[in-house]
Amino acid sequence: MWLHVTHLFQNIGRHCSLQVNTWMKTKVGLARHQFMLHSRSLVLTPCPRTEEKNVCPDKIDLDIWKTVLRENTTEASKPLPSEDFGDSSLTTTRELVQMWQLAGKTVPENITDEQLRTVQELSTKSAKKKYLKYLAIKEGKKKAAKEKQKLKQGTAKLLQKEVKCEEGAALKNTFLMHFWQRSFDLMYNWRAAQSMLFGQPLVFDMSYESYMNRREMENTVSQLLECEGCNRRSLDPFHLHFCNLSSDGGYYKELLKRYRDAWDNLLITATDESYIDIFPKDKLVYLTADSPFVLNTFQHDKVYIIGSIVDKSIQTGLSHANAKRLKLATARLPLDEYLKWNSGAKNLTLNQMINILLTVKDTGSWEEALKFVPQRKHEGFLSVPLEQRYRNRTREQQKLNNSEPEKKPRWQKSTSNTNQTVEKSSGSHKRKQWWVDEY
Amino acid sequence: MLPRHPGTFVSHLKCTFTPVVKAQGASRLLPCAFAPWSCTSSKFLTLSVGRQHDGNKRDSPSTHRERATRRGATGTSFSLFTAGAARKRAELAKSKLGNKLIDVPKEANTPKTPIPIKPLSIDDWKKMKAEAYNKTRFEVSMMEKLLSNHADIDIAKSLLVYVTMETGTVGYELLLKYLALCVQGHHLNEVLDLYAIMKTKFETLDTGAYSLFISGFSKTDRWKEAVIFLDSIKKMINPSPRNYGDVIISALQHKEVETAWRLLNEMEDRNLKPNEDTLQAFFDCGKSSCDEQYENMMMNILSYLRDNQIYPGESLMRSIQSWFESLPGKRWEGHRTTIVHSGECHICKTLLESIQLNEEEYNILKECVMNDVIQGKDVFKKTTPMELQHFQSFVKNRLPFDVVIDGLNVANISAKDIQSKILLEVVSHLAQQNLRLLVLGRQHMLRGTRSWDKGHMTAIQKYADCFFTSNISEDDPFLLYATILSGNHCKFLSRDLMRDHKACLSDKNTRRLFFKWQRGHQLVLSGYNPGRKMKFEVIPKYDTIVQSTKNTWHIPYEEEGMERCSYEVPCKWLCLQKRN
Repeated sequence: MWLHVTHLFQNIGRHCSLQVNTWMKTKVGLARHQFMLHSRSLVLTPCPRTEEKNVCPDKIDLDIWKTVLRENTTEASKPLPSEDFGDSSLTTTRELVQMWQLAGKTVPENITDEQLRTVQELSTKSAKKKYLKYLAIKEGKKKAAKEKQKLKQGTAKLLQKEVKCEEGAALKNTFLMHFWQRSFDLMYNWRAAQSMLFGQPLVFDMSYESYMNRREMENTVSQLLECEGCNRRSLDPFHLHFCNLSSDGGYYKELLKRYRDAWDNLLITATDESYIDIFPKDKLVYLTADSPFVLNTFQHDKVYIIGSIVDKSIQTGLSHANAKRLKLATARLPLDEYLKWNSGAKNLTLNQMINILLTVKDTGSWEEALKFVPQRKHEGFLSVPLEQRYRNRTREQQKLNNSEPEKKPRWQKSTSNTNQTVEKSSGSHKRKQWWVDEY
Repeated sequence: MLPRHPGTFVSHLKCTFTPVVKAQGASRLLPCAFAPWSCTSSKFLTLSVGRQHDGNKRDSPSTHRERATRRGATGTSFSLFTAGAARKRAELAKSKLGNKLIDVPKEANTPKTPIPIKPLSIDDWKKMKAEAYNKTRFEVSMMEKLLSNHADIDIAKSLLVYVTMETGTVGYELLLKYLALCVQGHHLNEVLDLYAIMKTKFETLDTGAYSLFISGFSKTDRWKEAVIFLDSIKKMINPSPRNYGDVIISALQHKEVETAWRLLNEMEDRNLKPNEDTLQAFFDCGKSSCDEQYENMMMNILSYLRDNQIYPGESLMRSIQSWFESLPGKRWEGHRTTIVHSGECHICKTLLESIQLNEEEYNILKECVMNDVIQGKDVFKKTTPMELQHFQSFVKNRLPFDVVIDGLNVANISAKDIQSKILLEVVSHLAQQNLRLLVLGRQHMLRGTRSWDKGHMTAIQKYADCFFTSNISEDDPFLLYATILSGNHCKFLSRDLMRDHKACLSDKNTRRLFFKWQRGHQLVLSGYNPGRKMKFEVIPKYDTIVQSTKNTWHIPYEEEGMERCSYEVPCKWLCLQKRN
């Protein structure tokens, strides 16, 4: 191997050492000069083509970084001041994290003592790495957001200045006062208050606290927040119920932490009671992906229950078991009936669920509602033969009519609802086209 | 005609044999003297639930493969739990699908910046960096490429020279990658040098650096420092089996047996599974030094293999064999062998341990299946308490059964016939053998649909006791429970591997018990053709586990090149026999 390398290297050797030499002159002090002189003398002697002598110059050239590093160490040995934390094991973990960062692993730059303690408590290596990676990603996102904000602030200031210059002191003549966010909030709250009185209840079952770890719980609460927001902004909000919410549990704490003072002003019903105590049992329908029954039509007199759980460890059948225990009706969304499912679990996030339910409540069309299913999970909508779908529906209507005759008007109401919304939203455009076509 | 079996339990079964003609070349390909047996054995029996005649379903890998292809053509399959069975099933499924699933090999994406083949000068490196796609991490990614291509160390050195010239120092990450390259190429002096440098440059090192230093130092005379590195890893995280293995191997090479044992015990305390070459080092080392104490320790290792159901690989097996044969004065003799269904070793004629659980184990398993598999944390997940109670009273009145049938699994075995008819055929076939049957199913089977004929179902109910769970309940847990409750002679008929139910069990030991019980009690229909004779895969009578008697050791080992799933057991054995 050496022979091969040296042959290849013969030409480079001279060149390289000269390079080194010039660098040395510019950057390095006397001590290194001495070394260099030695190497130069070797290079400048005419090289006979024996192996041993060829090896020498190459080797010296290749190991030069070691001497440089060794000399550097005196300067570089200080950059890791081991801060005294009292707890020696904490410092070792901190050092480990620092070294891992140097080694190019995804770990956060700054880490608090509390986070370090969590790292320590994790039992396995992979758990530690995962947690550190999570922290690193979080840190990165925070940094990126801050930078973005700074940029924004800069441009905003510029804009303001421009606006001021242009506008001067004259006020515009407007029909309305500036429509502030406050006015929106007022309107939303008014709607939410109405739904508290007359709206259809929607229950979030908060009894899965013990099945989740901390991060899952945090994710759940984030999703709940989003749910509440979507609901508030919708045209005809649900009356949200957070049932089985115990006041000493992690859920409650996390919700308080996220909502702060707003929690008390929230227009939802939060209770530690169970939904079976609040609502008549025959009105309850538990929505769960494990159910064998399909929710073909959204019924406006039912109380739908959503289990508020983020299940990352795949504990199948949890909510279905719950519904079975309480002998409740269950249903799943008609995902397979309308979508060409591609991959991913059929359990959706809470905010996707509430968006779907809100849409199907307003429009009555599953196509419209199931647009909230993440697109990566399916390949598009199925072109189900209309006839077949019609047959399914009529059969169900018959069933409904047979079992509960008073439901019929409700159903009619739902259709009327759809008509209204169609007029309101996208339908108007289509209708014009038909009109045009006819003429 | 029949070999004697102490463990025969269903004695009232009629036995019929259907010898299957084997490949003619089999005997030639077999390694040992017992070849004639293995080519005149039969693999499948027509329902010999209790007694299997001597059949040898294990041959050398080449014949195995030959047979696999032929079997694929005839549509039969093999014992569910033999090594390689899953792979063959997958191949069969693939060929049935018409090779639709054959994945196109991805085009090897050429690296954007090719690695140099010789050490470069600083200028060349500069040029390279200027052309490189990723300039910020150019040096590190280049070092990574060198590492993955097993490049020459001089190229890496020239890269380091370039980096020092550019920046005046070398970063930790780059040094770490270079260290990995040195360890990979066994440049031990370089490792020692690097240690000196890194020790002075950085106050502490990370775990990755330590484990690289461990594997580097353990090959040199300064191996004792590797023990210190191991200790410093321990302070931070749990060391890997590889770390321990490196130190142990070097300790054994330097005759420090005490240290090696201490570390091995420590590994066991930390619940780490030692690598195969670590164990092999113990056996290799034992050949030269042999005292009573060491021998006892080796026995401990073998019992560790037994307790944890670890099967040695071929190289470890060879080490074990030569260690035994090297023992002075004992005159051990080792042969590779296969075992006949009755559980008799060809070489020494010893009967291997029975696959049946003993009473204590059986009771543990019974309890665990009830508590963990059916009830679990929440009874409602798999069934309801009412249904469970109903089932328990149902079973209690009718016990014991001989065969419990998973109705839905059996009915779906073939698409050639409607489901109820297949089930009826299987049930009537078993009923002709005078067996007490229990068929488990779901209620939708009774509703009378196109695939579940009502007439067939009533006929089935004549032949067998039936229990139909609700449509949303699981039927497998009931199947397992009914089989276990019926006693040791009872078997269940299903193609299901029951892996999800095995996973429900709480600890490793019960899972092992379950698997052993499953191997001994699961009947599998080996292919089904309507109207033809029904064949069942043989159930081995012996347990595949490292085991010993007074004068013998039998050690199952994994063949090289044979893919074995976790739920399969190897079919090759090492027979060690003491000659007196």
